[in-house]
Order: sequence, then C-alpha cells, then structure tokens
Amino acid sequence: MSDGGGRGDGGARDDFFSEAQELVDGLGRDLLMLDDLLKKGRVDPEIINDVFRGVHTLKGLSGLFGATRMAGLSHQLEDLLDELRLGRIDIGVGVLDLLFRAVSLYARILAAEKGEAEDPVHDVEQLLLALGQVSGRRTGEGVGAVAQYELDPGLLGVLTEYEEHRLRANIQQGFGLYRIRALFSLATIDTALDAVKANARPHGEIITYLPTGSSSDADTIELEILMASKAPLGVLSAAIRSSGVTVEEVQRREPTTAALSIHMTGAPQGPAAASAAGAVPSVHPGLAPTGQERESRPSVLEGPRPTGTSNVPAVTAGGKASSARAPGQGEMSLRSVSQTVRVDIRKLDRLMNIVGELAIVKTAIARLTERARGRYVEPREFATELARLNRSFERHLAQMQNGILEVRMVPLGQAFDKLARIVRQISREHLKEVNLVITGAETEIDKLIVEELSDPLMHMIRNAIDHGIEARDDRLSVGKPVVGTIALNAFQKGNHVVIEVEDDGSGMDPKALTAAAIRRGVVTADEAKEMSQREVFALVFMPGFTTKEVATDLSGRGVGLDIVRTNISKLGGVVDITSDVGIGTKMTITLPITLAIINVLLVEIGGRPFAIPLASIEEAIAFDEAALRTVELREVLSVRGVSLPVCRLDRLFGLTTSSRRARSFVVIAQVGDRRMGLIVDELIGQQDIVIKPLGRSLARVRGFAGATELGDQRVALVLDAAALLEEVLVPGETRFFGAAEAVRS
Amino acid sequence: MPTLSKVRAGKRAAMRAGEAGTRTEYIAFGLAGETYAVPIAQLAEILRPPPITGVPRAPRTVVGVVSVRGRLVTVIDLRTRIRLPPAPMDHRSRILLVDGGTEHIGFVVDEVQQVWRLSPEEIEPSNVLGGDQAAHIAGIGRPAGVEGAMLILLDLRPLAESP
Repeated sequence: MSDGGGRGDGGARDDFFSEAQELVDGLGRDLLMLDDLLKKGRVDPEIINDVFRGVHTLKGLSGLFGATRMAGLSHQLEDLLDELRLGRIDIGVGVLDLLFRAVSLYARILAAEKGEAEDPVHDVEQLLLALGQVSGRRTGEGVGAVAQYELDPGLLGVLTEYEEHRLRANIQQGFGLYRIRALFSLATIDTALDAVKANARPHGEIITYLPTGSSSDADTIELEILMASKAPLGVLSAAIRSSGVTVEEVQRREPTTAALSIHMTGAPQGPAAASAAGAVPSVHPGLAPTGQERESRPSVLEGPRPTGTSNVPAVTAGGKASSARAPGQGEMSLRSVSQTVRVDIRKLDRLMNIVGELAIVKTAIARLTERARGRYVEPREFATELARLNRSFERHLAQMQNGILEVRMVPLGQAFDKLARIVRQISREHLKEVNLVITGAETEIDKLIVEELSDPLMHMIRNAIDHGIEARDDRLSVGKPVVGTIALNAFQKGNHVVIEVEDDGSGMDPKALTAAAIRRGVVTADEAKEMSQREVFALVFMPGFTTKEVATDLSGRGVGLDIVRTNISKLGGVVDITSDVGIGTKMTITLPITLAIINVLLVEIGGRPFAIPLASIEEAIAFDEAALRTVELREVLSVRGVSLPVCRLDRLFGLTTSSRRARSFVVIAQVGDRRMGLIVDELIGQQDIVIKPLGRSLARVRGFAGATELGDQRVALVLDAAALLEEVLVPGETRFFGAAEAVRS
Repeated sequence: MPTLSKVRAGKRAAMRAGEAGTRTEYIAFGLAGETYAVPIAQLAEILRPPPITGVPRAPRTVVGVVSVRGRLVTVIDLRTRIRLPPAPMDHRSRILLVDGGTEHIGFVVDEVQQVWRLSPEEIEPSNVLGGDQAAHIAGIGRPAGVEGAMLILLDLRPLAESP
C-alpha cells in the first residue's frame, strides 16, 4: 500500500469526483422534473424518492472520501427529503428553491474539493440554516381523513410512516381506496404478485400489502393489498382480474367535506406559517399538493414579500443576494469537476477490433522484414508489398482516429440540462417567468467543448433574461404572452455545430447601441455612421459595454458579453447577433465539432511553417499582387466578382519576407458568415495533426489555436482563424490595430 | 568563472563533507559571464536546444515553443528575463526545463557547468546584496574550500510561473 497507495488513492478520488458529479447532475434533472410537475399541480413521490436516494448515496460517498462539508450538507438535505417523502412537509416552489440551491452548492463544493475554487463555507452555512428552518416545521397533514375510511385498525397499525403518508396523500387527492385480496401459491408468489402489481399500477398506487393469515392450506398465502385509485371499482377489478383475486372498495364512514377539514387543520399554525411564508413562499401547512400550486403562484411572482418580515426572510434574501452578486469569483460555474466520459461498450468493442486489425498489419510487417533479412527480395516486389501494408495501416489508423473521436463526443444535452436549472433560478431571481425551449440536445460535440461551453451559454441566457425578456407588465402592454420564451437550438452544419440562443424579448435598438458606444468613446460618431448593422450589434461584445445608464444588479458584476466572445473564440468559434426591436434577439455560436485531431493546410509565411485548420478554409488560390485594390486603407481582392478583405499574415505577425514575391497565395477563410483572405507565401500541403494548446505563459498571444509537432521535430503554430477574422474585421480595440496596420502598408 | 583545478578541488571538498549534513545539490550554469546555480530538484530535464519555433506577437522574453516528447514547452530566454544583455544561442547553449505547475517552461542558458553540493553554511542570504532583491534570487553560494567561487543562486519557480 505504501508504494502504489498514492496512485491508487488518486484513481479512487477521480472516481469519487466523476461519480459525485454524475449524482449531482442527476439530482438537478430530477429537481427540474419535480418543478415541471409542480407547475402542473402534481407531485410524483417516485421522483422525491429518487432525489432522496441520490442524496443518500452522495452522503455515503462523501463520507467515504472525507468530504465533510458535502457529507454535512447531504445529511441535512436527507432529513429534509425524508420529511418531504413522508409528507411531513409539502413540496413547494420554496422548498424546491432550497434544493436547487443545494445542487449548485454541491457543484461548488466539488470544485473546492478539487482545489479549483474556494470553499463556499458561508453559503453552505446559510443553506444549512434555511434547511433547518424548513425541516423544523411540519405540516399538520390531514390525520382525520384516514379515519373516515373503514380501515382495519390492525392494518393501520402496521403501516410504515411512508405508507401512512402515501395513504393520506391519496385520500387528499380524492382517490378511492380499494382492498384487493389475492390468493397466491407459495411456489409462484413472486411472479404472481408482480403480475398483480403490474396490472394494478396503471390505475393507481399500491400502498401496502399484508398477509391476511386466513389461508386454509399450507401451500398458499392470502395477501391483502391496499390500493388507492381514481378508477371506479368495475374498471379496477376488470384490470386485476385473475383467479383468486377479489377487489372491493373501502367504504367511507361519512362522505362529508373532507378537503375542507384538511384545510382547517393547518390554520391554527398561523404565526409559524406566516413567518415562514416569506422565506419559503409555498409551504402552506396542510394544503394538498394539488391546491398548493394555485395558492403559491402569486408569491412566486412577487418573491419574498416585504411585509411581515422577520429574521427568517432576511436569511434567504441575503443568500440570494450573495449568490446573485459574485459569479465573477467562479461562484456560478456550470463546468463539471469531472473529466469523465461514459462510453457505450460497443464503441470500445469496435476500437478493440481495430486494434486487432492493426496487430495483423504489424505481424505482416514483421514477416516481411524477416523475409527481407533472410534472402534477397526483389525491390519492386518488396515495395509493392510495403505499399499494400501501408495502405492497410492507414485505413485502420483512420478508423481508430474516428472511433476515438466518436468516444469523445457527448450530446450537448449535458450542458443544456444544467442551463435549464439556471433559467429556473435566474427567472425566479428576476421575477420574470421564462420558458426554456430546447431543440437539438442530442447534437454531439467534443466533451471538452461541452465543458467550456456551459459558462458562456449561462452568461448569454442570463443576459437574455435580464436585458431581453421584458417585465411582466411591459409584456402584457405590448400584447406578448406573460411567459417569455428563450429558445436554445443546436444543430450540426458540416464540420461545425451551431447553437442559437433566441429570446422573444425587447430586442436591441441599433441607434441606442451606437449612441452608447459613442458616449463611451468606443467609436467616434463618424465611425458609427459607417458601421454595418452587424458591426453595431457586435458592440455588445466590447468589454464594459452597457446601454443601461442605471446599473441593475446584473451590470457591474463582470458578466459582460465580452467574456462570452473570448471564451467562444478560445474554442475556435464565433458569436454573431441579430436582433429586431420589440421582437427579440438571437445570438448564434458556431463551433468546430472537435478540438482533438484536425485536418490542416500547412502554409509558409516568412519562411516558417504555419497550419490553418481546413474546417475554416473555403479555398486557397494563387493570385497576382497586381490584382489587389485598396478600399479605405484596407486591401481588398476581388474573387469571382466578390470583393474580399485580405490580411497579410507576414505583416500582421511582424515577420520579414525575404523578397517581394510576384506571386503568392491567398487562403480564403470563412468562420460563421465572415470571410477574409489570408495572404501566405507558399502552400505546403494538407496534414492531420494533433493540436496542443499553447501554455498559460502564452495565453495572451492572440491568433493561435495552439501548435503541433511536424514529422521532423519541428513545431508549427496553428492559426486560430476565428480569432484572426475577429481581430481584423470586427470594430473595437482591434479595429484600430487593423487600421494602423493598413496605414503602415 | 572557477578554473578547472578549483572546480575539482571544490568537488572533492563537497564529496568529503558529503553525506554528513543537509546538503542541497545545485547545478551551475553560465549566463553573461557570471555563474548562476539552481537546485537540481527544480529541474525536470536539461536539453540540447531542438529547433525552436518562434511565436509571433509573444512577449520579448519568449524565444518560442518546442515539443519535448509530445509535450509543448514554452522557451524563455533567461538572459532577457532577468534583464541581462541578450546574446545569440550557440552550440554550448542548453535549455533548463522547469515544471511550472500548469506547464513546463524551458530557460535558455549560455552553458551548463557542474553540480555543487552546498551545505546551509555555504549559502549567504540574498539580502547581503542590499535591500530589495528580486524574488528569483535565492542567495549567494560560496562553496567552502574553493577560493573565489561564487554562485548566484536562483529560484526558477517564480520565473516559470510568470514568464
């Protein structure tokens, strides 16, 4: 253990992170489902159970790895979930808020455990406090309701707390109770009971089953199954009918206004409920889940009410404020701490097969070598054989490469799931109702890109909710639906994946944008006049750009769209904006599918090799220097009747070209819908390369996506076409640079 | 620069004192006519310079990037980095590879000389040179028994972390 211990430990810890991350992601999904159902006024006990189990597993897992903060949080959550499960507390939007907060805290604790972020001690404490307050207060569930049924006290006595809760919950929903008696043979009871359960499940919920003890012979056993269903007796007995099964309805003693009395039981707890209502708006004691949603809706929109404040709402408000203020400090990152990819075993099998094929090629090469060593081999024959093997090797290598790329691919849904959680949270923080509509979640993209994409997408959605979607009253006054819509669409387009974030909000006014840009000195009035619509919209990506004169709680938090642009271009992608005033805004991200192995065009600039990703190249053509024209200090080439801005890479990179060439080449790069010609000295050829990022020390050098090793130990830099196009074509700080370049020419 | 005989004497002295105390091994290298040294433990590797690919628009201190067994390494000119006059590389130039945490950084030095094993008594703190010394100067090494030998002890880690 002493020697391998360290490594084994590290491996186990990695497993811990990936497993914990998966559990946390799962919790997030479950909570979203609960939230959805709750909006429809329903509660699915199975999902609450799932959440409970997930948290329980997390608790065990974190205890095992000494992640004490996480274990502590899980413990408290478990308590709350247990109460929810047993119906001692009603689930409501407020409780869900706490659970959602817990999920995002889990992610931060995990990051802290990994040493990637600060330990959110303060926030955990606040949440624990809030959880304690909710757990401490119980619902006075309609105990009286059960008594109205003619149930055997013996049966009621042996119900577990959970079963009792389900029984009450079903009665409160107005479902009928049925007693099913079934005779099973001991030999087949497992399958027979399952069959009965399966028949019964579509019609309701089985609450419990017990042996009746009245069976007459030793080989059979009679069970009494207690079931709640809204189906009438006839339907139910038809569904479950089989030999030895009888279904009867449990009679009510006095069919009075049961629901009313349930409401009344909660009322005396008034003061406690009122103080809690601010913090957790929807926990109304004794309210059936169905009624609760209608009751709590208004408070969802109004948020914590300013009236009736005690210290309780203050805690929640403080927590919310802190979670809203400081995402810049890595507080709200959606990136998962785990770098694990789940792989379908069949994909691995295919890879394994290819490895087998490669082994066969290797054997053939060994045999050929052996033969050549043993006796003279006709060179031509040798060459033919070698060429054949080389082809086979190439083919299998290509398959292998594709196979591995495929393994790296994950559906974008992984990032989208988390975004749905964020939308819920932000829309509640800003008291705007927003519906997130996702299409294309199954679009696959490299795992690395998905991870890096989460945060930029989060910022864009935040921006859409805060600046795009109007306040409720404004929407009503222009005749838009109260609930705003943000559409998140993804689709593949050639070697790129396109992701659109579209809102149906107020849109952006180009005039207001240019006015703000002039006011802030980003552009001059003259420049503004000449800007195209697209250039105007691109202004929002400038650092520190804002049209809002009064800072909202969102501005001034460093959640500028410039970060989005920077992050996206790091991934080799571009962002574009279109917007219509009053109709909405659409941001489009175009990204390469993978970052790992790419096909490049090798070129020579100033005597040095550079690689340009083929994915961003439209074509490469020879051209005559004489064909260049100058338009407003920018060099422009006309290609097949379309003028194309060009950039001399040797000049941009400060390299000296030995002699002025009469003939050079222009590589036409296209990213998104921007096009530009890159002037290079020579075209060398195409090659598949593994791209490696430049180190942190070179992070600030723009224009390069990384570097790659060529066959001969030399390293070639890989151009980042998206960044170069952005730098040369887009206005802003880089535009002046571009202009200065042009003046010098 | 110590003469060869002095070097040998120094080595012998180091050997004699050897295993006794807590000696640290330093590797000495020449830079602009002075002798510098860094703890061997800080180095991952010493390389003969492979072809270095310049990075346009990189900071002045960056010579370029090289690939060391499939790993991309940024190469820094140590002369420029610690504000010594620059000089072209020649056949004696070497690259000292340092693990800078997130990435490996290579430092170009004029030549690599020898290994010194220094006890704490043979190291003067950097403040003998006066008030503020840069963080990368760790002290002055004065190997016992070697007349006139003086090593400027460097800490390459801060340099690797912010090259």
